[in-house]
Amino acid sequence: MASLQEPWLLENGNLKGTSKEMRHGRTAHNMSSSSLRKKSDLTLVSKVRCGMLRHLLTNLQEVILGTKLSVLFPAIPLAIAAQCYGFGRPWVFALSLLGLTPLAERVSFLTEQIAYFTGPTVGGLLNATCGNATELIIAIFALWQHKIELVKYSLLGSILSNLLLVLGTSLFCGGIANLGQEQKYDRRQADVNALLLLLALLCHMLPLLFRISGGSAALTAVPTLQLSRASSIVMLIAYIAYIIFQLVTHRQLFEAQEESEEDDADVSEETPVMGIWSGIVWLVGMTAVIALLSEYVVGTIEDASESWGLSVSFISIILLPIVGNAAEHAGAVIFAFKNKLDISLGVALGSATQIAMFVVPLCVTVAWILGIKMDLNFNLIETGALAISIITTAFTLQTKEMPSTWVTLIPRPESPQLNRIISQYNLIEGMLCNMNAGLGLSWLLPE
Amino acid sequence: MDRHYSQVQVASDLENGDVNFKVGLNRNNIKEVCVNGKTPQNISSSIMRKKSDPMLVSPNVRFQMLGHFLTNLQEVILGTKLAILFPAIPLAIAADYYKFGRPWIFALSLLGLTPLAERVSFLTEQIAYFTGPTVGGLLNATCGNATELIIAMFALYQNKIHVLKYSLLGSILSNLLLVLGTSLLCGGLANLRKEQRYDRKQADVNSLLLLLGLLCHMLPLMFRYAIGEGTSTAYSTLQLSRVSSIVMLIAYVAYIFFQLKTHRQMFDSQEEEEDEEEKAVIGFWSAFTWLVGMTIIIALLSEYVVGTIEAASDSWGISVSFISIILLPIVGNAAEHAGSIIFAFKNKLDISLGVALGSASQISMFVVPLCVVVAWAMHVHMDLDFSLLETGSLAFTIIITAFTLQDGTSHYMKGMLLFLSYIVIAACFFVHKIPQNQISEGKPFTGLFAA
Repeated sequence: MASLQEPWLLENGNLKGTSKEMRHGRTAHNMSSSSLRKKSDLTLVSKVRCGMLRHLLTNLQEVILGTKLSVLFPAIPLAIAAQCYGFGRPWVFALSLLGLTPLAERVSFLTEQIAYFTGPTVGGLLNATCGNATELIIAIFALWQHKIELVKYSLLGSILSNLLLVLGTSLFCGGIANLGQEQKYDRRQADVNALLLLLALLCHMLPLLFRISGGSAALTAVPTLQLSRASSIVMLIAYIAYIIFQLVTHRQLFEAQEESEEDDADVSEETPVMGIWSGIVWLVGMTAVIALLSEYVVGTIEDASESWGLSVSFISIILLPIVGNAAEHAGAVIFAFKNKLDISLGVALGSATQIAMFVVPLCVTVAWILGIKMDLNFNLIETGALAISIITTAFTLQTKEMPSTWVTLIPRPESPQLNRIISQYNLIEGMLCNMNAGLGLSWLLPE
Repeated sequence: MDRHYSQVQVASDLENGDVNFKVGLNRNNIKEVCVNGKTPQNISSSIMRKKSDPMLVSPNVRFQMLGHFLTNLQEVILGTKLAILFPAIPLAIAADYYKFGRPWIFALSLLGLTPLAERVSFLTEQIAYFTGPTVGGLLNATCGNATELIIAMFALYQNKIHVLKYSLLGSILSNLLLVLGTSLLCGGLANLRKEQRYDRKQADVNSLLLLLGLLCHMLPLMFRYAIGEGTSTAYSTLQLSRVSSIVMLIAYVAYIFFQLKTHRQMFDSQEEEEDEEEKAVIGFWSAFTWLVGMTIIIALLSEYVVGTIEAASDSWGISVSFISIILLPIVGNAAEHAGSIIFAFKNKLDISLGVALGSASQISMFVVPLCVVVAWAMHVHMDLDFSLLETGSLAFTIIITAFTLQDGTSHYMKGMLLFLSYIVIAACFFVHKIPQNQISEGKPFTGLFAA
């Protein structure tokens, strides 16, 4: 369908899959982040005469300047300079945080570009593992430096922020913007994600209850650790089953609505803008830069906390995830504005599921290999907050009675009042989710 | 339908003339409703039956009484695929008599209980043919979990309250997570391209009953945490538990009424393409005698099980809680479990759900409060306070099951997640070791404040 006579064909001729398949390779993540892209204006670069240089400059423009967040890119060299010249460590922390924001978005962009070449299944897998690359890298560094509490807090904060903040603002903005229209989504996808999150909650609750009911810490430490490690293996198995479910057997549940794409021609370009090897090289490079900045963040977090007067737990649970998720957050809100709730939900819930069922058990397993004693016992307040947010989100998403596929089969009378009520309901749910997030904020501040 | 009458009459003719007459008279009344007397448990266990071949017995034996007896024997003993486990029963008795290792007695008794549980269900169904659907349903409702009930009574008698609590909790968990999970998983994998639906109203009623049971367990627990330890707390908790048990029994009676009388149509399973024989294969008094006999053997084996559980736990190095919560219910539920999976394969989810949820409701709302009431009569100190970890697992199980069954469709991922939840809970109890000084006490179980 789309013409593929572009420069990257100079590199590699293999472009897998028909364009219809490529469409299906775009998961909700990719589509949401793509809303932040800018269409690159290639006229300036095309004036450069040398072919290779032009190609490199095209790539550079696409990658570095291809997003609205690129205004934050200068923070990266500033952060490196601050570290080398020994500026105040809180400055290093702040600059690294700012630098991480556009990098996370670019990694998602590059993953999507590579997915064009590898077909939808591998693309989906890539997205499933690299979708939360930032959180994963921060967690691994924290583990390496034996800061187990930081790992737990940052991962918990990611889950909470995805479930409450991202979902809440999406529903809220979507409700406001579409007050008279109907907002439907297919709840079966939301159900599967909610079930996975409930399994994750079980795996967190059992070590906590074990610890509380067991009495002394010395007696229960080893069994809790063993239980956590076994639960992590179970969670990884469940995640693999979920990937198979999502990408192989029940694809149809997870495909974003494609019918009304014609008006979004500016957002959904279906052509890759660079070759696969460019994509991989850039991806590796970006990941290295993310790793560097994450090391700074993890190393300087205590100093920043002392200097700013905020607790480490607040910074890790609230600030870090907001930064790491900024691009996805913006994308989810934008899609909710356009009344495409499926995509917003896919982003928020999918991200939360990925962190809860993949990144957390992966960290426990890596800790097991490194001989570090990390268990799944996040303490009482954190686990309680997690439980309440998962249950709130699960119940919020239950209110839609009919999945969208049923709606097309059963003729429903179009009534503006009903639609208004439904959108208002969305608004209220969004407000509730945000209030929850706000409660979380105020809760953790004095700690 | 005429064939239906004559065969039953032939079988029971030989035993007793009175029943014969009654059977003949009542035929017209109960002809239609016999079909509806089969509850999901009966249908699911009937999968495990083999059609007995009577040709071996009848022509060769001259005495009619002997022939009749041998027919009965073949039906009852050999009529199931689980019959290979029957030799475990005499082995277990021999092991106890000749003082083999106690772990052996435990293992053999467990193996022997499996086919017995299934046979009791079969005999109950046979009796139900004669007594009509309502009494049959009632019989099934009370005897459906006969094994768990008898084990619980023996544990109560030997004052092993924690074994009692653990085994009942384990039955509920196993029904809700293991049986339901594997059924949904296998059913989903076998029917990948079809849409699997079930009637969620039945699931809703059962979920509500289970939530009521959960409330009755959580209140004594929270009471104990809120007020603190002490003799007055223990006494208040006991009173609260006893009152809650009466309430739970009232709820269960109402549920029976709802299921068998006023809202039958919600619970009737699809019967159209069943090739089940609708006639009883043995007479009423035969069935009754066999039932009594089997119950006595179950009682004997249960006594062995409860008596040797600590020895087996020490010898195998597994905690008592793991054996009671995980191993015992797997054994006791094996027949229902297999039947439930087979029906899920055939995309008859309503039956699988009826089995799993019905069993869980029955244990939670009937067997548990019954034990508390019996303990009350025996002046034993049993309350509804299963400690924190167990109640937390129970709460979580009920919530995740209720959430899973909410929307009326199913796919293999749901079953997978329920099954994996069971694995995690099993792992939790595998590493959980209760301190030795709290075993064999009829007192409330102290967890947090013990150390």
